[in-house]
Amino acid sequence: MIQGTVKFIAAAVIACAFHAPAFAQANCVELKTTGEVEKEVVNDKGEKTKTLVAAADTKVIPGTEVIWTVTAKNACKESSDKVVITNPVPEHMTLVPGSVFGAGADVTYSVDGKTFAPAGKLTVTDNGATRAARAEEYRQIRWEFKNPIPAGSSAFGRFRATLN
Amino acid sequence: MSRSPRFLVASGVLLLCGAWSNQARAVGVAAGTNIDNTAQVTYSVGSVSATATSNTTSVTVAEILDAVVTLQTPSVPVVPGAVQQEMVYRLTNTGNGPETFQLQMTSSLGGDEFDPTPSSPSIYFDTDGSGDLTAGDVPYVAGSNDPLLAGDAFVTVLVINDIPVGATDGNRGFSRLTATARTGSGAPGTSFAGQGANGTDAVVGTTGGDGEATGQYLVASIAVNALKSQAVVDQFGGSRPIPGARINYTIVVSATGSGAAAGTVFNDAIPANTTYVAGTLQLNSVALSDAADADAGDFSTVPAARVRVQLGNLTQASGSQTIQFAVTIN
Repeated sequence: MIQGTVKFIAAAVIACAFHAPAFAQANCVELKTTGEVEKEVVNDKGEKTKTLVAAADTKVIPGTEVIWTVTAKNACKESSDKVVITNPVPEHMTLVPGSVFGAGADVTYSVDGKTFAPAGKLTVTDNGATRAARAEEYRQIRWEFKNPIPAGSSAFGRFRATLN
Repeated sequence: MSRSPRFLVASGVLLLCGAWSNQARAVGVAAGTNIDNTAQVTYSVGSVSATATSNTTSVTVAEILDAVVTLQTPSVPVVPGAVQQEMVYRLTNTGNGPETFQLQMTSSLGGDEFDPTPSSPSIYFDTDGSGDLTAGDVPYVAGSNDPLLAGDAFVTVLVINDIPVGATDGNRGFSRLTATARTGSGAPGTSFAGQGANGTDAVVGTTGGDGEATGQYLVASIAVNALKSQAVVDQFGGSRPIPGARINYTIVVSATGSGAAAGTVFNDAIPANTTYVAGTLQLNSVALSDAADADAGDFSTVPAARVRVQLGNLTQASGSQTIQFAVTIN
Protein backbone atom coordinates (compact mmCIF):
# COMPACT_ATOMS: atom_id res chain seq x y z
CA MET A 1 0.00 0.00 0.00
CA ILE A 2 2.75 2.42 0.93
CA GLN A 3 4.77 1.29 -2.03
CA GLY A 4 1.84 1.99 -4.34
CA THR A 5 1.49 5.55 -3.13
CA VAL A 6 5.15 6.25 -3.65
CA LYS A 7 4.96 5.02 -7.25
CA PHE A 8 1.94 7.21 -7.92
CA ILE A 9 3.72 10.34 -6.71
CA ALA A 10 6.77 9.49 -8.78
CA ALA A 11 4.63 9.19 -11.89
CA ALA A 12 3.01 12.56 -11.25
CA VAL A 13 6.39 14.23 -10.90
CA ILE A 14 7.56 12.79 -14.22
CA ALA A 15 4.41 13.98 -15.94
CA CYS A 16 5.00 17.51 -14.66
CA ALA A 17 8.60 17.40 -15.79
CA PHE A 18 7.51 16.57 -19.36
CA HIS A 19 4.92 19.29 -19.50
CA ALA A 20 7.02 22.04 -17.98
CA PRO A 21 8.94 23.11 -21.14
CA ALA A 22 5.70 23.48 -23.10
CA PHE A 23 4.33 25.97 -20.65
CA ALA A 24 7.54 27.98 -20.84
CA GLN A 25 7.12 28.54 -24.62
CA ALA A 26 5.16 31.38 -26.15
CA ASN A 27 2.40 29.03 -27.23
CA CYS A 28 0.48 31.69 -29.08
CA VAL A 29 -0.22 30.40 -32.55
CA GLU A 30 -2.34 27.30 -32.88
CA LEU A 31 -2.04 25.63 -36.26
CA LYS A 32 -4.75 23.44 -37.68
CA THR A 33 -5.01 21.61 -41.00
CA THR A 34 -8.20 20.41 -42.62
CA GLY A 35 -8.72 18.40 -45.79
CA GLU A 36 -11.92 18.82 -47.74
CA VAL A 37 -13.37 17.53 -50.97
CA GLU A 38 -15.73 19.39 -53.26
CA LYS A 39 -18.96 17.51 -53.71
CA GLU A 40 -21.72 18.31 -56.16
CA VAL A 41 -25.13 18.40 -54.54
CA VAL A 42 -28.58 19.38 -55.72
CA ASN A 43 -30.11 22.09 -53.52
CA ASP A 44 -33.81 22.49 -52.68
CA LYS A 45 -34.30 24.59 -55.83
CA GLY A 46 -33.09 21.67 -57.94
CA GLU A 47 -29.84 23.46 -58.84
CA LYS A 48 -26.48 21.79 -58.81
CA THR A 49 -24.11 23.42 -56.37
CA LYS A 50 -20.79 22.50 -54.91
CA THR A 51 -20.29 22.00 -51.23
CA LEU A 52 -17.23 21.09 -49.20
CA VAL A 53 -17.21 17.93 -47.13
CA ALA A 54 -14.44 16.73 -44.83
CA ALA A 55 -12.12 14.45 -46.81
CA ALA A 56 -12.20 11.90 -44.01
CA ASP A 57 -15.99 11.56 -44.47
CA THR A 58 -15.83 10.96 -48.19
CA LYS A 59 -14.32 8.48 -50.62
CA VAL A 60 -10.95 9.73 -51.71
CA ILE A 61 -9.74 7.79 -54.73
CA PRO A 62 -6.86 8.43 -57.15
CA GLY A 63 -7.74 11.55 -59.11
CA THR A 64 -9.69 13.14 -56.26
CA GLU A 65 -8.77 16.76 -55.56
CA VAL A 66 -8.38 17.54 -51.88
CA ILE A 67 -8.51 21.15 -50.68
CA TRP A 68 -6.07 21.55 -47.81
CA THR A 69 -6.47 24.53 -45.50
CA VAL A 70 -3.99 25.39 -42.80
CA THR A 71 -5.19 27.96 -40.29
CA ALA A 72 -2.98 29.82 -37.83
CA LYS A 73 -4.93 31.25 -34.89
CA ASN A 74 -3.30 33.67 -32.49
CA ALA A 75 -4.56 32.61 -29.06
CA CYS A 76 -2.46 35.12 -27.13
CA LYS A 77 -3.22 38.62 -25.91
CA GLU A 78 -0.33 40.04 -27.92
CA SER A 79 -0.03 40.02 -31.71
CA SER A 80 2.22 37.47 -33.39
CA ASP A 81 4.67 38.72 -35.95
CA LYS A 82 6.72 37.12 -38.73
CA VAL A 83 4.24 34.27 -39.10
CA VAL A 84 5.51 31.68 -41.58
CA ILE A 85 3.50 28.56 -42.34
CA THR A 86 5.18 25.69 -44.16
CA ASN A 87 3.13 22.81 -45.49
CA PRO A 88 4.50 19.90 -47.47
CA VAL A 89 2.40 18.65 -50.35
CA PRO A 90 1.26 15.36 -48.77
CA GLU A 91 2.91 12.18 -49.95
CA HIS A 92 1.14 10.49 -52.90
CA MET A 93 -0.37 13.84 -53.90
CA THR A 94 0.39 16.38 -56.62
CA LEU A 95 -0.11 20.10 -56.24
CA VAL A 96 -2.73 21.56 -58.59
CA PRO A 97 -0.97 24.39 -60.49
CA GLY A 98 -2.26 27.83 -59.60
CA SER A 99 -4.32 26.57 -56.67
CA VAL A 100 -2.30 28.08 -53.82
CA PHE A 101 -4.04 30.90 -51.99
CA GLY A 102 -3.06 32.98 -48.99
CA ALA A 103 -4.44 36.47 -48.34
CA GLY A 104 -1.74 38.86 -47.20
CA ALA A 105 1.05 36.34 -47.63
CA ASP A 106 4.02 35.96 -49.93
CA VAL A 107 3.90 32.41 -51.25
CA THR A 108 7.07 30.52 -52.08
CA TYR A 109 7.71 26.92 -53.05
CA SER A 110 10.40 24.32 -52.72
CA VAL A 111 11.22 21.07 -54.47
CA ASP A 112 13.80 19.93 -51.90
CA GLY A 113 12.54 21.50 -48.65
CA LYS A 114 15.65 23.69 -48.45
CA THR A 115 15.48 26.31 -51.19
CA PHE A 116 12.26 28.32 -51.35
CA ALA A 117 11.42 30.65 -54.24
CA PRO A 118 8.32 32.20 -55.83
CA ALA A 119 6.46 30.23 -58.51
CA GLY A 120 8.41 30.09 -61.76
CA LYS A 121 11.73 30.93 -60.14
CA LEU A 122 12.55 27.48 -58.86
CA THR A 123 14.87 25.32 -60.91
CA VAL A 124 15.66 21.64 -60.91
CA THR A 125 18.54 19.72 -62.44
CA ASP A 126 17.33 17.20 -64.94
CA ASN A 127 19.99 14.94 -66.56
CA GLY A 128 22.63 17.55 -65.83
CA ALA A 129 20.61 20.42 -67.35
CA THR A 130 18.94 23.11 -65.29
CA ARG A 131 15.33 23.94 -66.08
CA ALA A 132 12.38 25.62 -64.41
CA ALA A 133 10.56 23.37 -61.93
CA ARG A 134 7.03 22.44 -62.87
CA ALA A 135 4.20 23.10 -60.42
CA GLU A 136 3.63 19.36 -60.00
CA GLU A 137 7.22 19.05 -58.77
CA TYR A 138 6.71 21.46 -55.87
CA ARG A 139 6.89 19.49 -52.63
CA GLN A 140 6.61 22.32 -50.08
CA ILE A 141 4.54 25.47 -49.88
CA ARG A 142 5.39 28.40 -47.63
CA TRP A 143 3.22 31.35 -46.68
CA GLU A 144 5.04 34.38 -45.17
CA PHE A 145 2.43 36.72 -43.73
CA LYS A 146 3.35 40.36 -44.32
CA ASN A 147 1.44 41.69 -41.32
CA PRO A 148 1.28 40.52 -37.72
CA ILE A 149 -1.73 38.47 -36.67
CA PRO A 150 -3.57 40.42 -33.98
CA ALA A 151 -4.63 38.77 -30.75
CA GLY A 152 -7.57 36.44 -31.29
CA SER A 153 -7.36 36.63 -35.08
CA SER A 154 -6.53 33.98 -37.68
CA ALA A 155 -4.73 33.73 -41.00
CA PHE A 156 -4.85 30.84 -43.40
CA GLY A 157 -3.22 29.33 -46.45
CA ARG A 158 -4.93 26.97 -48.86
CA PHE A 159 -3.98 24.69 -51.73
CA ARG A 160 -5.42 21.90 -53.80
CA ALA A 161 -3.68 18.62 -54.46
CA THR A 162 -4.73 15.62 -56.50
CA LEU A 163 -4.34 12.06 -55.24
CA ASN A 164 -1.91 10.21 -57.49
CA MET B 1 17.63 -31.55 -101.74
CA SER B 2 14.70 -29.17 -101.85
CA ARG B 3 12.75 -28.57 -98.67
CA SER B 4 9.11 -27.71 -98.49
CA PRO B 5 8.52 -24.04 -97.95
CA ARG B 6 7.02 -23.19 -94.60
CA PHE B 7 4.03 -20.93 -94.39
CA LEU B 8 3.13 -18.67 -91.63
CA VAL B 9 -0.37 -17.31 -91.84
CA ALA B 10 0.07 -14.38 -89.55
CA SER B 11 -3.56 -13.40 -89.42
CA GLY B 12 -4.15 -10.43 -87.21
CA VAL B 13 -0.61 -10.00 -85.96
CA LEU B 14 -0.75 -6.27 -86.56
CA LEU B 15 -4.11 -5.94 -84.87
CA LEU B 16 -2.73 -7.82 -81.91
CA CYS B 17 -0.05 -5.19 -81.45
CA GLY B 18 -2.80 -2.59 -81.57
CA ALA B 19 -4.55 -4.29 -78.71
CA TRP B 20 -1.38 -4.21 -76.66
CA SER B 21 -0.66 -0.55 -77.20
CA ASN B 22 -4.18 0.08 -75.96
CA GLN B 23 -3.20 -1.59 -72.69
CA ALA B 24 -5.23 -0.56 -69.71
CA ARG B 25 -3.53 1.79 -67.29
CA ALA B 26 -4.25 1.26 -63.66
CA VAL B 27 -4.70 4.11 -61.27
CA GLY B 28 -2.09 5.18 -58.78
CA VAL B 29 -2.07 5.09 -55.02
CA ALA B 30 -3.04 1.75 -53.48
CA ALA B 31 -6.31 1.44 -51.60
CA GLY B 32 -5.83 1.68 -47.83
CA THR B 33 -2.88 4.10 -48.07
CA ASN B 34 -3.05 6.91 -45.50
CA ILE B 35 -2.49 10.41 -46.82
CA ASP B 36 -1.23 12.56 -43.95
CA ASN B 37 -0.86 16.31 -43.82
CA THR B 38 1.01 18.18 -41.09
CA ALA B 39 1.99 21.85 -41.33
CA GLN B 40 4.47 23.93 -39.36
CA VAL B 41 4.45 27.55 -38.31
CA THR B 42 7.13 29.87 -37.01
CA TYR B 43 6.34 33.26 -35.49
CA SER B 44 7.51 35.88 -33.03
CA VAL B 45 5.80 37.37 -30.03
CA GLY B 46 7.79 40.39 -29.00
CA SER B 47 11.37 39.18 -29.12
CA VAL B 48 10.55 35.50 -28.59
CA SER B 49 10.39 33.23 -31.63
CA ALA B 50 8.45 30.02 -31.50
CA THR B 51 7.54 27.07 -33.62
CA ALA B 52 4.38 25.02 -33.62
CA THR B 53 3.20 21.97 -35.47
CA SER B 54 -0.36 21.40 -36.57
CA ASN B 55 -2.54 18.39 -36.01
CA THR B 56 -2.11 15.65 -38.61
CA THR B 57 -5.06 15.32 -40.92
CA SER B 58 -5.29 11.84 -42.34
CA VAL B 59 -7.28 10.57 -45.27
CA THR B 60 -7.48 6.91 -46.24
CA VAL B 61 -7.49 6.09 -49.96
CA ALA B 62 -10.60 4.16 -50.96
CA GLU B 63 -10.59 1.24 -53.39
CA ILE B 64 -11.62 1.79 -57.00
CA LEU B 65 -13.43 -1.08 -58.67
CA ASP B 66 -12.41 -1.18 -62.31
CA ALA B 67 -11.80 -3.88 -64.87
CA VAL B 68 -10.73 -3.88 -68.48
CA VAL B 69 -11.07 -6.87 -70.79
CA THR B 70 -9.13 -6.79 -74.05
CA LEU B 71 -9.25 -9.20 -76.93
CA GLN B 72 -5.90 -10.64 -77.96
CA THR B 73 -7.15 -12.54 -81.03
CA PRO B 74 -9.25 -10.16 -83.13
CA SER B 75 -10.49 -12.68 -85.69
CA VAL B 76 -10.11 -16.42 -85.37
CA PRO B 77 -10.15 -18.28 -88.71
CA VAL B 78 -12.15 -21.51 -88.40
CA VAL B 79 -13.67 -24.24 -90.54
CA PRO B 80 -17.24 -25.54 -90.13
CA GLY B 81 -17.51 -28.30 -87.50
CA ALA B 82 -14.24 -27.38 -85.77
CA VAL B 83 -14.25 -28.08 -82.02
CA GLN B 84 -12.61 -26.26 -79.11
CA GLN B 85 -11.73 -23.11 -81.02
CA GLU B 86 -10.20 -20.53 -78.73
CA MET B 87 -10.30 -16.80 -78.33
CA VAL B 88 -7.68 -15.19 -76.13
CA TYR B 89 -8.67 -12.40 -73.75
CA ARG B 90 -6.82 -10.45 -71.13
CA LEU B 91 -8.51 -9.26 -67.94
CA THR B 92 -6.70 -6.39 -66.18
CA ASN B 93 -7.59 -5.05 -62.74
CA THR B 94 -7.33 -1.32 -63.40
CA GLY B 95 -8.41 -0.53 -59.86
CA ASN B 96 -6.02 0.33 -57.03
CA GLY B 97 -6.51 -2.66 -54.78
CA PRO B 98 -6.73 -6.45 -54.90
CA GLU B 99 -10.07 -7.57 -56.31
CA THR B 100 -11.78 -10.82 -57.23
CA PHE B 101 -13.58 -10.99 -60.55
CA GLN B 102 -16.42 -13.15 -61.76
CA LEU B 103 -16.20 -14.30 -65.38
CA GLN B 104 -19.01 -14.97 -67.83
CA MET B 105 -19.08 -15.81 -71.49
CA THR B 106 -21.86 -15.76 -74.02
CA SER B 107 -22.03 -16.73 -77.65
CA SER B 108 -25.71 -15.82 -78.21
CA LEU B 109 -25.09 -12.40 -79.71
CA GLY B 110 -26.68 -10.48 -82.53
CA GLY B 111 -24.98 -9.05 -85.59
CA ASP B 112 -23.28 -12.24 -86.68
CA GLU B 113 -24.22 -15.07 -89.03
CA PHE B 114 -23.98 -17.98 -86.61
CA ASP B 115 -23.84 -18.61 -82.87
CA PRO B 116 -20.75 -20.53 -81.81
CA THR B 117 -21.53 -23.37 -79.40
CA PRO B 118 -19.79 -22.91 -76.03
CA SER B 119 -17.62 -25.92 -75.22
CA SER B 120 -17.92 -27.44 -71.78
CA PRO B 121 -16.10 -25.96 -69.93
CA SER B 122 -16.06 -22.81 -72.02
CA ILE B 123 -13.65 -20.61 -70.03
CA TYR B 124 -10.07 -21.58 -69.18
CA PHE B 125 -7.15 -19.76 -67.63
CA ASP B 126 -4.08 -19.78 -69.85
CA THR B 127 -2.26 -21.34 -66.92
CA ASP B 128 0.89 -22.21 -68.85
CA GLY B 129 0.98 -18.86 -70.63
CA SER B 130 1.13 -20.51 -74.06
CA GLY B 131 -1.73 -18.47 -75.53
CA ASP B 132 -3.24 -21.79 -76.63
CA LEU B 133 -5.58 -24.26 -74.98
CA THR B 134 -3.34 -27.01 -73.65
CA ALA B 135 -3.68 -29.87 -71.17
CA GLY B 136 -2.17 -27.76 -68.38
CA ASP B 137 -4.78 -24.99 -68.60
CA VAL B 138 -7.21 -24.86 -65.66
CA PRO B 139 -10.93 -24.50 -66.41
CA TYR B 140 -12.75 -21.61 -64.73
CA VAL B 141 -15.45 -22.55 -62.23
CA ALA B 142 -17.59 -19.59 -61.13
CA GLY B 143 -17.44 -19.01 -57.38
CA SER B 144 -14.66 -21.52 -56.96
CA ASN B 145 -11.57 -20.12 -58.67
CA ASP B 146 -12.59 -16.57 -59.51
CA PRO B 147 -9.35 -14.75 -60.32
CA LEU B 148 -7.98 -12.52 -57.56
CA LEU B 149 -5.91 -9.77 -59.15
CA ALA B 150 -3.75 -7.16 -57.47
CA GLY B 151 -4.06 -3.61 -58.79
CA ASP B 152 -2.55 -3.46 -62.29
CA ALA B 153 -2.29 -7.26 -62.53
CA PHE B 154 -3.83 -9.22 -65.40
CA VAL B 155 -4.78 -12.77 -66.25
CA THR B 156 -5.05 -14.37 -69.68
CA VAL B 157 -8.35 -16.14 -70.25
CA LEU B 158 -9.32 -18.48 -73.08
CA VAL B 159 -12.92 -18.65 -74.33
CA ILE B 160 -13.68 -21.94 -76.07
CA ASN B 161 -16.43 -22.61 -78.60
CA ASP B 162 -17.30 -25.26 -81.19
CA ILE B 163 -18.19 -24.14 -84.70
CA PRO B 164 -21.53 -25.43 -86.06
CA VAL B 165 -21.30 -27.74 -89.04
CA GLY B 166 -23.79 -25.59 -90.92
CA ALA B 167 -21.64 -22.44 -90.90
CA THR B 168 -20.49 -21.44 -94.35
CA ASP B 169 -17.62 -19.46 -95.80
CA GLY B 170 -17.47 -15.83 -94.80
CA ASN B 171 -19.83 -16.35 -91.85
CA ARG B 172 -18.98 -14.68 -88.55
CA GLY B 173 -19.83 -15.88 -85.06
CA PHE B 174 -19.35 -13.63 -82.04
CA SER B 175 -18.46 -14.62 -78.49
CA ARG B 176 -18.05 -12.32 -75.50
CA LEU B 177 -16.19 -12.43 -72.19
CA THR B 178 -17.44 -10.30 -69.29
CA ALA B 179 -15.62 -9.79 -65.98
CA THR B 180 -17.30 -8.20 -62.97
CA ALA B 181 -15.74 -7.08 -59.68
CA ARG B 182 -17.06 -9.31 -56.87
CA THR B 183 -17.24 -6.39 -54.44
CA GLY B 184 -19.73 -4.67 -56.67
CA SER B 185 -20.40 -2.90 -59.95
CA GLY B 186 -22.82 -0.32 -61.28
CA ALA B 187 -22.83 3.37 -62.03
CA PRO B 188 -19.44 5.04 -61.55
CA GLY B 189 -19.32 6.58 -58.08
CA THR B 190 -21.50 3.93 -56.45
CA SER B 191 -19.85 3.08 -53.16
CA PHE B 192 -19.73 0.07 -50.90
CA ALA B 193 -18.91 1.09 -47.33
CA GLY B 194 -16.12 -0.87 -45.69
CA GLN B 195 -15.90 -3.42 -48.50
CA GLY B 196 -12.67 -2.25 -50.10
CA ALA B 197 -9.14 -3.44 -49.45
CA ASN B 198 -8.13 -3.27 -45.76
CA GLY B 199 -11.63 -2.26 -44.72
CA THR B 200 -11.65 0.90 -46.83
CA ASP B 201 -14.69 1.94 -48.79
CA ALA B 202 -14.95 0.66 -52.34
CA VAL B 203 -16.06 2.98 -55.13
CA VAL B 204 -17.11 1.94 -58.63
CA GLY B 205 -14.68 3.49 -61.12
CA THR B 206 -15.13 4.75 -64.64
CA THR B 207 -15.48 1.25 -66.13
CA GLY B 208 -18.48 0.54 -63.91
CA GLY B 209 -16.54 -2.17 -62.09
CA ASP B 210 -16.82 -4.52 -65.02
CA GLY B 211 -15.35 -5.00 -68.46
CA GLU B 212 -16.15 -6.96 -71.56
CA ALA B 213 -14.80 -7.66 -75.01
CA THR B 214 -16.24 -9.48 -77.98
CA GLY B 215 -14.30 -11.59 -80.42
CA GLN B 216 -15.25 -13.25 -83.67
CA TYR B 217 -14.77 -16.51 -85.47
CA LEU B 218 -14.58 -16.22 -89.24
CA VAL B 219 -15.31 -19.24 -91.38
CA ALA B 220 -12.82 -19.41 -94.20
CA SER B 221 -11.83 -22.49 -96.08
CA ILE B 222 -8.93 -21.09 -97.97
CA ALA B 223 -5.94 -23.29 -98.73
CA VAL B 224 -2.53 -21.97 -99.63
CA ASN B 225 -0.43 -24.21 -101.85
CA ALA B 226 3.15 -23.94 -102.98
CA LEU B 227 4.86 -25.78 -105.77
CA LYS B 228 8.63 -25.74 -105.75
CA SER B 229 10.85 -26.62 -108.71
CA GLN B 230 14.57 -26.33 -109.32
CA ALA B 231 17.05 -26.10 -112.18
CA VAL B 232 20.75 -26.87 -111.74
CA VAL B 233 23.34 -25.10 -113.87
CA ASP B 234 26.96 -26.17 -113.41
CA GLN B 235 29.97 -24.06 -114.27
CA PHE B 236 30.80 -26.28 -117.23
CA GLY B 237 27.56 -25.59 -119.07
CA GLY B 238 25.91 -28.77 -117.82
CA SER B 239 23.31 -29.50 -115.17
CA ARG B 240 25.28 -31.65 -112.73
CA PRO B 241 24.89 -30.83 -109.01
CA ILE B 242 28.59 -30.41 -108.25
CA PRO B 243 30.32 -27.93 -105.93
CA GLY B 244 30.11 -24.51 -107.54
CA ALA B 245 26.96 -25.34 -109.48
CA ARG B 246 24.01 -23.00 -109.16
CA ILE B 247 20.48 -24.06 -108.29
CA ASN B 248 17.66 -21.76 -109.43
CA TYR B 249 14.53 -22.29 -107.36
CA THR B 250 11.05 -21.33 -108.47
CA ILE B 251 8.12 -21.49 -106.06
CA VAL B 252 4.58 -20.85 -107.19
CA VAL B 253 2.19 -19.94 -104.37
CA SER B 254 -1.53 -19.90 -104.89
CA ALA B 255 -4.65 -19.72 -102.75
CA THR B 256 -7.80 -21.70 -103.46
CA GLY B 257 -11.18 -21.57 -101.77
CA SER B 258 -13.11 -18.73 -100.22
CA GLY B 259 -12.04 -16.04 -97.81
CA ALA B 260 -8.57 -14.61 -97.42
CA ALA B 261 -5.34 -15.93 -95.97
CA ALA B 262 -4.42 -12.77 -94.10
CA GLY B 263 -0.80 -11.70 -93.80
CA THR B 264 0.63 -14.69 -95.65
CA VAL B 265 4.38 -14.93 -95.28
CA PHE B 266 6.54 -17.19 -97.44
CA ASN B 267 9.56 -18.51 -95.57
CA ASP B 268 12.13 -20.83 -97.12
CA ALA B 269 15.30 -22.09 -95.49
CA ILE B 270 18.46 -22.08 -97.60
CA PRO B 271 19.30 -25.80 -98.01
CA ALA B 272 22.25 -27.21 -96.08
CA ASN B 273 25.61 -27.17 -97.93
CA THR B 274 24.48 -24.37 -100.21
CA THR B 275 24.97 -20.60 -100.16
CA TYR B 276 22.38 -18.03 -101.15
CA VAL B 277 23.38 -15.97 -104.20
CA ALA B 278 23.03 -12.35 -103.14
CA GLY B 279 20.47 -10.29 -105.03
CA THR B 280 18.64 -13.19 -106.67
CA LEU B 281 15.33 -12.95 -104.76
CA GLN B 282 12.39 -12.09 -107.03
CA LEU B 283 8.61 -11.90 -106.71
CA ASN B 284 6.66 -12.16 -109.97
CA SER B 285 9.91 -11.38 -111.87
CA VAL B 286 10.49 -8.17 -109.90
CA ALA B 287 13.80 -8.09 -107.98
CA LEU B 288 13.57 -7.73 -104.19
CA SER B 289 16.52 -6.39 -102.23
CA ASP B 290 18.11 -8.69 -99.65
CA ALA B 291 17.68 -6.13 -96.88
CA ALA B 292 14.59 -6.11 -94.65
CA ASP B 293 13.11 -2.88 -95.99
CA ALA B 294 10.12 -1.43 -97.81
CA ASP B 295 9.94 -4.18 -100.42
CA ALA B 296 8.25 -7.49 -99.66
CA GLY B 297 11.35 -9.69 -99.51
CA ASP B 298 14.51 -10.12 -97.49
CA PHE B 299 17.35 -12.56 -96.87
CA SER B 300 18.66 -13.22 -93.38
CA THR B 301 21.23 -15.53 -91.81
CA VAL B 302 19.72 -15.13 -88.34
CA PRO B 303 18.94 -17.54 -86.78
CA ALA B 304 19.50 -19.65 -89.91
CA ALA B 305 19.86 -18.69 -93.54
CA ARG B 306 16.46 -18.13 -95.16
CA VAL B 307 14.59 -16.01 -97.64
CA ARG B 308 11.25 -14.47 -96.80
CA VAL B 309 8.56 -12.82 -98.87
CA GLN B 310 5.52 -11.08 -97.40
CA LEU B 311 2.60 -11.94 -99.65
CA GLY B 312 -0.03 -10.00 -97.71
CA ASN B 313 -3.67 -11.03 -97.94
CA LEU B 314 -3.98 -13.85 -100.42
CA THR B 315 -7.29 -14.79 -101.98
CA GLN B 316 -8.13 -17.03 -104.86
CA ALA B 317 -8.51 -13.88 -106.98
CA SER B 318 -4.91 -12.90 -106.18
CA GLY B 319 -3.71 -15.56 -108.64
CA SER B 320 -0.34 -17.31 -108.48
CA GLN B 321 2.63 -15.63 -106.90
CA THR B 322 5.99 -16.69 -108.29
CA ILE B 323 9.03 -16.48 -106.07
CA GLN B 324 12.53 -17.13 -107.36
CA PHE B 325 15.99 -17.27 -105.81
CA ALA B 326 19.29 -19.01 -106.39
CA VAL B 327 21.93 -20.83 -104.34
CA THR B 328 25.32 -22.32 -105.14
CA ILE B 329 26.48 -25.72 -103.96
CA ASN B 330 29.38 -25.45 -101.50
